[in-house]
Amino acid sequence: MYPHDALPDEVYARVGEKLAEAAREDSGAARTIEDGVAALNSGRPFAGLPADEQLQVLKEIEGSDFFELVRSTAVTEVYSDQRTWKLVGYEGASFDKGGYVDRGFNDLDWLPDPESAS
Amino acid sequence: MSPQGNGRRFAADDSDVIVVIGSGAGGGTLASELCQRGAKVVLIEAGRHHQPEDFINDEWASLNQLAWLDSRTTSGSWRIAREFPNLPAWTCKTVGGTTVHWAGCCPRFKEWEFRIRSEHGPIDGASLLDWPIGLSDLEPYYDAAEDRLGVTRTNGIPAPPANNNFKVMGNGARRAGYTGVSTGRMAFNTVPRDGRPATIQDGFNYQGDKQRAHWSTLTTEIPKAGKTGRLDLRPESMVIRIEHDDSGRVTGVVYVDPEGSEQRQKARLVCVACNAIETARLLLNSASPQFPDGLANSSGQVGRNYMRHLTGAVFATFDKPVRMYRGETMAGIVTDESRNDPGRGFVGGYYLQLHSLGPAFLSTFLRPRAWGRDFAAIMEQYDHMAGMWLVGEDLPQAGNRVTLNCEVRDQFGQPVPNVHVDDHPNEVAMREHAYAAGESVYAAVDALRTFRVPPYPTTHNLGTARMSARPEDGVVNEFGRAHDVPNLLVSDGSVMTTAAAANPTLTIVALALRQADYIEQQLTAGAL
Repeated sequence: MYPHDALPDEVYARVGEKLAEAAREDSGAARTIEDGVAALNSGRPFAGLPADEQLQVLKEIEGSDFFELVRSTAVTEVYSDQRTWKLVGYEGASFDKGGYVDRGFNDLDWLPDPESAS
Repeated sequence: MSPQGNGRRFAADDSDVIVVIGSGAGGGTLASELCQRGAKVVLIEAGRHHQPEDFINDEWASLNQLAWLDSRTTSGSWRIAREFPNLPAWTCKTVGGTTVHWAGCCPRFKEWEFRIRSEHGPIDGASLLDWPIGLSDLEPYYDAAEDRLGVTRTNGIPAPPANNNFKVMGNGARRAGYTGVSTGRMAFNTVPRDGRPATIQDGFNYQGDKQRAHWSTLTTEIPKAGKTGRLDLRPESMVIRIEHDDSGRVTGVVYVDPEGSEQRQKARLVCVACNAIETARLLLNSASPQFPDGLANSSGQVGRNYMRHLTGAVFATFDKPVRMYRGETMAGIVTDESRNDPGRGFVGGYYLQLHSLGPAFLSTFLRPRAWGRDFAAIMEQYDHMAGMWLVGEDLPQAGNRVTLNCEVRDQFGQPVPNVHVDDHPNEVAMREHAYAAGESVYAAVDALRTFRVPPYPTTHNLGTARMSARPEDGVVNEFGRAHDVPNLLVSDGSVMTTAAAANPTLTIVALALRQADYIEQQLTAGAL
């Protein structure tokens, strides 16, 4: 759902782990996942489909409870992962490194310092 | 035992204490001020007593640590009811309240923003009312609040330096013709002050400030109150009811302690400062045979006129790196659009303010529910992105209100608040104007692409116990004292009659300082 070709599969595997965890903790989520997966595989198995057909199937179920559960879990997991942060150029916590005061909080060099009103 | 309450514990039947409920900008400041003036204060806070070193610089983990996540419901036409139905607001449940998450923008309200009913005349669908006070009443308290908070560009405190994100917004704004462009009046230290260090520009504001450069009641007011020996701070304690006697005077509060047991604390005065949603909910949940519609609610105004500001954001991508996440998150402002100019198609004004999110929150809020390869490609532009937040006045409406949802109960068995909001056409027009303004700023510095970000749960919650000159128009008088109940006060943003465009914390603090003067005078005169 959030494909970044440069990311290792483990980032996406975390999404599956999180969903499995949700299913263990919440029987409602477990049912949503079970029913959703069953529906995905009601025709030809989803995992075996070519990418463009997979995408088509996802578009058909967009907005369903199952889709939203998977999507919201995926967006949270993928973009909280430090490997994703590295890929998109985000450095995360800086407090232990002394912040950015001496490490480039104002190092943008393609624009001048703007004039500031008083 | 709380390290900052100095372990002081007043007896449950000590009816000489003042109970303050909520330890944020209003309650934390008021409690501190009252303690320093010699009063005994029991400060009851629903959240835990975290310390800055415990804060987590990771967006979702921090949200789970600090945010108010107790069950709430929503209704109405606003997008929040569809996209974040159980999270209408992004406020905090922790000692220090939402000041812990606050980025520190400190504009004052303008003179006309206290009297918009007179300024605009009647507006369909809006329940406009002039404040019972004006700017001149609040000016001395604004002065005191700015000194207390250490606001940059006041009291000789140096201006914040321009960070990367501001270089983009500031240059764009200048080129687009704006003149009120600056790094702003901010409540974080640019030089060491009040025992706290200068900012190291570490980039985390909304997740709590680990280094204490920001003013928050957690790191300033509450420790100062503790040093007086007159503060009894009770964290992890949820007040579920305010009680009164047959004469209609408040006698104390009932709360659930950290062990889950109900406790009763007597009080001579009760000051409610739970943030607009919970303040209204507590008054409504305190209904009794004598006050069947809720405490202090003979006007029927408790919970009504809920305001949360125009919100929205504009982000843009550029062909060169920005790294917007470095440095103080909101240290930049454009003030030109904060004027009242009905010629723009709406009344009231708005500000453009610097704003940044990490990838975790940006991916959730940039285009709610978006997914797929195109969206992932946008996220890969993260370090080439700049951002701004749009904050402006939203008009009070009688139907935008907090009510009790008796179908849903919280962990204490209490009805949860339902927050109903319908957008007013004025706000829709203002948001469109603000989006276009934000886009013009970024276009002026050659943005590759701009994004209009819809409103997400905001931190500004106002108006559910509004001040009014006449008791039938509102809940409290000009000092925050309930019209109906002589020894009950409201001490947070709930009292705001209208919202103005400015971030509310500075005004909440100024109102709390004014209220502290009033309480002291009234107690001395034996009139409370």
